[in-house]
Amino acid sequence: MRRITTLLLFFCLAATTLFGGGYQVGLHGVRNIGMGLIGTSLSYDASSLFYNPGGAAFVNDKWSFSGGVSLIMARGTFQAKNANYQATIKHELNTPFYVYAAFKPTKNLSIGIAVNTPYGNRLAWEDDNGADWKGRFLIKDISFKAITYQPTISYKFGDVFGIGAGFVYTTGTVDMNKSLPFEGTSGEGTLNVKGSTQAYGFNAGIMIHPDKGWSIGIDYRSKIEMKVKGADATFTVPQSLSTNFPANNKVDVMLPLPANLDLGVSYEFGKEKQWMIGVNLCYVFWSTYDSLVFDFETKTPVVNRTASPALYTDQMIVRVGAQYKAGKVVTLRAGGYYDPSPVKSDYLNPQTPSLTEVGLTCGVSVYPFKGFSVDAAFLYLVGAQRDGTFSPDNFAGTYRTGFYIPAIGLSYSF
Amino acid sequence: MKKILFIILSVALFTACERKIDEFKVGKGSANFTTYVAMGNSLMSGYADGALYQTGQKYSLPNIIAGQLALAGSGNFVQPMVNSEYGVAYPGSQPKLVLGYSSSPCQPGVISLSPVRSEGTMEPLQPVGYPVNNLAIPGAKSFHMLFPGYAQFNPYYARFASSPTNMVVQEIAPLNPTFFTMWLGDNDVLSYALTGGVGDTLTSPAFFQTAMGGVLTALTANKAQGVIANIPDVTAIPYFATIPYNGLVLTQSQADSVNMAMALYQLPFHYTAGPNPFLVNDPTSPHPMFKVRQMQAGELVLMSVPQDSLKCMGMGIINRVTFMPYPIPTQFVLTSDEVYKIKTTTAAYNQILAGLATHFEIGLVDMNSKLTDIQKGIVWDGVKLNTKFVTGGAFSLDGIHLNPRGCAVAANYFIDAINAKYGSTIPQVNITSYPGVTFP
Repeated sequence: MRRITTLLLFFCLAATTLFGGGYQVGLHGVRNIGMGLIGTSLSYDASSLFYNPGGAAFVNDKWSFSGGVSLIMARGTFQAKNANYQATIKHELNTPFYVYAAFKPTKNLSIGIAVNTPYGNRLAWEDDNGADWKGRFLIKDISFKAITYQPTISYKFGDVFGIGAGFVYTTGTVDMNKSLPFEGTSGEGTLNVKGSTQAYGFNAGIMIHPDKGWSIGIDYRSKIEMKVKGADATFTVPQSLSTNFPANNKVDVMLPLPANLDLGVSYEFGKEKQWMIGVNLCYVFWSTYDSLVFDFETKTPVVNRTASPALYTDQMIVRVGAQYKAGKVVTLRAGGYYDPSPVKSDYLNPQTPSLTEVGLTCGVSVYPFKGFSVDAAFLYLVGAQRDGTFSPDNFAGTYRTGFYIPAIGLSYSF
Repeated sequence: MKKILFIILSVALFTACERKIDEFKVGKGSANFTTYVAMGNSLMSGYADGALYQTGQKYSLPNIIAGQLALAGSGNFVQPMVNSEYGVAYPGSQPKLVLGYSSSPCQPGVISLSPVRSEGTMEPLQPVGYPVNNLAIPGAKSFHMLFPGYAQFNPYYARFASSPTNMVVQEIAPLNPTFFTMWLGDNDVLSYALTGGVGDTLTSPAFFQTAMGGVLTALTANKAQGVIANIPDVTAIPYFATIPYNGLVLTQSQADSVNMAMALYQLPFHYTAGPNPFLVNDPTSPHPMFKVRQMQAGELVLMSVPQDSLKCMGMGIINRVTFMPYPIPTQFVLTSDEVYKIKTTTAAYNQILAGLATHFEIGLVDMNSKLTDIQKGIVWDGVKLNTKFVTGGAFSLDGIHLNPRGCAVAANYFIDAINAKYGSTIPQVNITSYPGVTFP
């Protein structure tokens, strides 16, 4: 036990992890989180349904279930350029979760369902002195949540090659608030946009086990076009401006969820394959997000169609991880990843203050009895500090974000 | 198991000590901001919405700057406060303008949003009885600063003059300023422009130079440092830029009738459906019966033009009662010649101010080019500002003076110039915390 805790401490204290890209979330399996979020070449449990459907048929057990939740304590601070002004992202708990269930009717076929939250963004800004937040005309708070449901089928040809695919059904909700620079006797105008939608996509992958211990996975998750049609757009403005801002308007909001192409390679070695090391390269097709479009239904000279430029650029996430089975009861994991920001410095926006971040993760699984494990992982994400301006609104300053994410889950297979 | 969870939680707490971003470091550089004094005219006094009133003074340009200089060691900045939200009462003064609803006599049922005079008690004109750091005086021209007994002619100076026979510059020495900002000289051209070029004169550049030199000598007598602003092209402000020269919008049948009338009066003007130029008085007009002509592009109609006559009586075209040509009187118009004089004089003033800034080794804010920027449209923190009347968000309801948010933007221009000149790091102000136009 002493040896285990020492190892854990070593892994964890070395850890400063990363969480960069825009509004994509990488937390889809507590075991995977423990080893730097890798998973594309692994087929240890039902999380393969998401990470690589091609690998699901390689899971040995007839039934496998896993579920878990991450607790994100988002933190961020903002220092305005050339001014003695600071603001903070209000600490709110975000809880991305996953539930996976896979069943193998035959030795080579697996069917299953994956439910998880690969995209999302939730934050609320607060002025450090209790005044109105300086960026309120850009964004006050936003909550964007998407849940994907992915029925999946996977088939392996012998012990070398597997393919799989899933249909992705996504539900999304958005709720955002901003202020409008039009003042009345009872304060500034405001806009609330609230709506929900659904969209479709797919997830397909290939798994190859070319030689003893080696595993290669390739997975492609398609772009999902989130179109929130007819969201409620509620304007509150001074009476004299009400004809320009119809109170109960509707708005179409379009936000693309980017496609991902992941390549993973891993190698198991040692006594009873005690050790595993792996690397993932995840190419995120961020450039699909060139603007955030709001198209209002009732149009006036000041309320019409707006396209706020985002101009994201494609990025490659690099992830590495390792696993060590310290006996039948305990498995230890560690890893790290580099997630570069898809946002250019002149489009860095308080709505999604995306920073390039770097770090490590650690995790542990404890098996009280065969097939059942309690999984825990810990992720510490220190955002690199970054200067940026959202040039269309001339909003300039320095952002610093940091997260720490404990994650806990259960896995059961038999 | 428990032990492991305990360790994970300990690590979580240990690493939760986030690093904050370094705070902005205020520095005074080579400047001494101990005693700050401001000089100028209405633009520096807090005058807005056609009156000098309490909230306007609270958000005066120098008071905003003083708030930031206080972070770098500046002392109390005293203003001659008006204890009224409506203005100062003296013969001819009116309470401040607010946005309200009004209708024109020819369309009694139709109300529209427009500036109207508020109703409230103005402060009676009386001396404030204490020395002030903000020496800005609404209506003052450059040479008025050197005019003995100016308090007897300007009620705003009378409010804080230490003696009725003083020159304004004599107020400076007792304050012993270490730092000053000055934005003066606009009225040397603006007063002319506000009368349509007929009720006042432009200060000659030579006299302007002498006067400004005198004021700056007084300000820097005790080695005070400072920053001055130059003169914006006043023709860009809403007061002159709101009513277009061709704001006469006709239907085809109206244009046909007007064309017949013009033929009758032997005036060779042709009208079409859509916007047409207004008629204006012109003594040099070659037409035998009426000394009028059509306005040309680049000529300006002042906001002081009687709107009811324009909308209801046919001013600018044909009088609806007499059916005679009804030109806009010349005091409501700046002709091409007048606009040219304003622009060339402003350019001459600015050349002089640049020279004086160099000579006195003080900073210079190029407010002229800044106003051009605002005219094209600027944005700060998602707030779009331009020189459009009311909707532009930077000017107050009199169309001449900045509103608090506009003053905050101008204050940041001053702060940038101070930092550039003295190597200081005075923080800019947050313009979103300053009010713009208040809508009913």
